[in-house]
Amino acid sequence: MDKPQIVKDGIIIPSSTDFLADVDKYLEEKFSDAGVDPSIMTDVAISVSELVNNAIIHGNKSDMTKRVDIRFSVTDTVLKVIIIDEGEGFDADTVENPIDDDNLLKEVGRGIFIVKSFVDDVQITAGSEGGTRVEITKNF
Amino acid sequence: MKLKHREENGVVIIEPKGKIMGGPESTALHDLLHDLIEQGKIKVVIDLSKVDWMNSTGLGLLISGLTTLKKAEGELKLTNVTDKIKSLLAITKLVTVFKSYDSVDEAINSF
Repeated sequence: MDKPQIVKDGIIIPSSTDFLADVDKYLEEKFSDAGVDPSIMTDVAISVSELVNNAIIHGNKSDMTKRVDIRFSVTDTVLKVIIIDEGEGFDADTVENPIDDDNLLKEVGRGIFIVKSFVDDVQITAGSEGGTRVEITKNF
Repeated sequence: MKLKHREENGVVIIEPKGKIMGGPESTALHDLLHDLIEQGKIKVVIDLSKVDWMNSTGLGLLISGLTTLKKAEGELKLTNVTDKIKSLLAITKLVTVFKSYDSVDEAINSF
């Protein structure tokens, strides 16, 4: 796989940050079609960009033979996005608290913290075929 | 993200535009700051008025700029911080790290 692939309710990308903009464009179109409020759209778009970055860099280790699968659903009141990578798993408990004084000037390590602040629920589990599955829910 | 910069009264004003999300274009800001330091230009204002949003990669770039300029005895200041980025700076406590101003002129005059 060398380029993004649009599938039912989602987009699948190779493991390169070159394709973050494709994911964002896809979500923006879906959110607009569903009439989602722009502020909600931004919170979810930021969260998805964090999680797709993590999936590419920490999950799939930027291995272009591995894919990141992003699926999207929206109802009148709930928006869900599921991101699945093909990496070796991720233990969210090992992430240091980015707002500790000692970590404040670190350049990385804020992604999951920001996601948890911007959406209503984050579920991080093992994917059914390996890797990590992250499901975020935003109520509106 | 697109990037423009200009100089006013010995201060470099950098104007990123769009979304700072960690794609290949994000290194442009990092590279520009390093080029400026090499040229001895160490007073820098980043005008965020045209940034739709940023994620933790964008925050990391700002921190990198701040610490790199500090090491070179310079300073990085922010201006026109949008509400969404203000909220990001608040929840990550980075509001305590960056000096931010309401206008470019105010930021320039603060040096």
